[in-house]
Amino acid sequence: MEPTVRVAHLSKFFGRFQAVKDVSFEVYPGEIFGLLGPNGAGKTTCIRMMLDIFKPDGGDVTVFGGTMTEDKKERIGYLPEERGLYDELKLEPTLLYLASLKGMEGPEARERLEMWLKRLDLYEDRNKKVQELSKGMQQKAQIILTLLHDPELIVVDEPFSGLDPVNTRLVKDIIEEQRQAGKAIIMSTHQMYQVEALCSRIVLINHGEAVLYGEVSKIKRDFAGNAVTLEGQGDFADLPGVMEMRRDNGAWHLALAPGTSPQDVLRALATRDGFKVERFEIAEPSLDDIFIHVVREEGGSAEPEVAHA
Amino acid sequence: MRKLWLVAKREYLRRVKEKSFLFAALGLPLLMLVIGAISAAVAVGRTDDRPVGYVDRAGVLVAEVLPILGEEEQGFTELRAYPDELAARDALVDGEIQAYYVLPEDYLTSKAVTVYYSDRSPREGASGDFRDFVRRSLIAHQEPEVRDRLTTGLDLVIRSSTGQREVSDNNAFALLLPLFAAFFMFFSIPTAGGYLLQAVTEEKENRTMEIVATSVSPVQLMGGKALGLMGVSLTQNLVWIGALIVGVVIGAQFVAPLRGIRMPWEMVGLALLYYIPTFAVIAGVMTAIGAAVTELQQGQQISGIINMIFMIPIFFIAIILSNPNSPFMVALTLFPSTAFLTIMLRTALSSVPLWQLVVSWVVLIGTAAGSIWVASKVFRMGMLRYGQRLSLGQILGGLRNPRAVLQKETVDHA
Repeated sequence: MEPTVRVAHLSKFFGRFQAVKDVSFEVYPGEIFGLLGPNGAGKTTCIRMMLDIFKPDGGDVTVFGGTMTEDKKERIGYLPEERGLYDELKLEPTLLYLASLKGMEGPEARERLEMWLKRLDLYEDRNKKVQELSKGMQQKAQIILTLLHDPELIVVDEPFSGLDPVNTRLVKDIIEEQRQAGKAIIMSTHQMYQVEALCSRIVLINHGEAVLYGEVSKIKRDFAGNAVTLEGQGDFADLPGVMEMRRDNGAWHLALAPGTSPQDVLRALATRDGFKVERFEIAEPSLDDIFIHVVREEGGSAEPEVAHA
Repeated sequence: MRKLWLVAKREYLRRVKEKSFLFAALGLPLLMLVIGAISAAVAVGRTDDRPVGYVDRAGVLVAEVLPILGEEEQGFTELRAYPDELAARDALVDGEIQAYYVLPEDYLTSKAVTVYYSDRSPREGASGDFRDFVRRSLIAHQEPEVRDRLTTGLDLVIRSSTGQREVSDNNAFALLLPLFAAFFMFFSIPTAGGYLLQAVTEEKENRTMEIVATSVSPVQLMGGKALGLMGVSLTQNLVWIGALIVGVVIGAQFVAPLRGIRMPWEMVGLALLYYIPTFAVIAGVMTAIGAAVTELQQGQQISGIINMIFMIPIFFIAIILSNPNSPFMVALTLFPSTAFLTIMLRTALSSVPLWQLVVSWVVLIGTAAGSIWVASKVFRMGMLRYGQRLSLGQILGGLRNPRAVLQKETVDHA
């Protein structure tokens, strides 16, 4: 199958700082692809290069089988991280105008907009000024704008921010529907459980480099052994080689530091007094664990110093 | 191209529906209308349609010319002859006539005429009509050619030494139009500049830039906005000019000098030829300012100073009046930001040599192209810098190497 997006050996310098180093990935129709990474890792820069907002210094971006053109922009829906609508204008004309720039005009645009406004419970608010809408409502309006022109490639950056659990579920369902309709979806988020629930494949970018790339299930298998589940009585704090502990359904989930094996933890437990182990098993790590593991292994925070300049 | 029109259409419709635009565009003509209506009401209030009498003791008036005058001039006052002053006075007392004139026996030597009225002097039109009657009577015995020549008078044509420019009594509008164009431009610059600045900063302030940038190219976006706003500015000027023309047409019914004026289309063409590239220069400068600042208010402070650069000629209007062809005026003619206003003001009073027109237009076109190029570069540099200003150093550095300027912003948002 021909990928919708192919990013090959992409790199980008800002002055002397290299924001993106040799990043490659492909996104196919009918999949939700997770673009992950800590703050300042280079995710947004990758997206902006992919969408021709920035020109890359090296590598290639292929969208719909070729280089980006003005016509191809109409086949892309983009929910940027930095987003907003015209505050002073009414919601409906604003969405219709921005949709017209994506080639969606006339009765079809109105029909589709009505459907989306109703679905996202904004129909009654369509004549309100954007500034009169709550943050969550504005977020839903942005999602409508991303999907209104029925794009084949959907790029969403933190699509769940500002949404309550009900709307989060609704947006999640919509994203899944779009995937089932054969759209290629790139989702960038820090909510790892959403990635785990939705994405089939991911790329993890750290310090501008792709440090993990592939199917979520395979990555999780590869990282098995880096976490253990523990049940029992007593104080399990300060176990050597444990990076993070969290309570989950009455059991402790221990994320292990690089170089620490489950056997090391078991040995440490055996030498301690004052507690009783009832269950000890090697856990399949969550993406959250893998994320933390990889980022820490790469060395501290991914925030480059320039960001604090 | 379709998207450029979409942006232009939206920008145009949005602005012309704004109260501030309606106030600016319609306020001035309405004000003129009110002033005109008040003047007309005062004039109409003084209208007296009663005839005017006359007693010709000198025997110079020829009653046969009256029908001819009546045909020549619409609304010519009815003039009624009386055999003596007693009969005329009775008619005046009875209210049959508004006044009567008496030409004494020695009129041809004394040139004295006496007018009698009861409470109000005869209206201006009636006095003028009687004067015409006297003049026409005095030349009634002349040959028809001489009579016609004397009646029509002369059409004084003032021609510049180069022959490019001429003003005659019959096309005084040619003198007024460049002045109007200059003043329209003077009022248009801050308005158009303000709109353009707002058009750029609103995308940044509302954080819609990334959505728009992935829908249209920067050229389509800024070109569309500039085009739409040029339409707004032209609409405003057309409303004003239209109101002026309507005013002249209506005014011509009451004021004789306004009759017979013709539209100096070559002047309109010259104004448009300079207006469009001048607008492009303003659009480029305002786009660059808008892209470099974070909020409209910051931009307005800078644009206020920039506007002055375009309006300099108005401040030197005294020099233009006294010496329209001085070297200083030539310099202002050739300088792109001041070319339009200077040429309009100089054209009103003198003639601008062809070489100066050609050179200034070429320089203006080059500046317009350059300013749009710089604006598109600065726009790309500043479009995603939410909440951060671009310094002049960064702009100059960025024009040489655009990537360097983007560094901090991108890292912050990556």
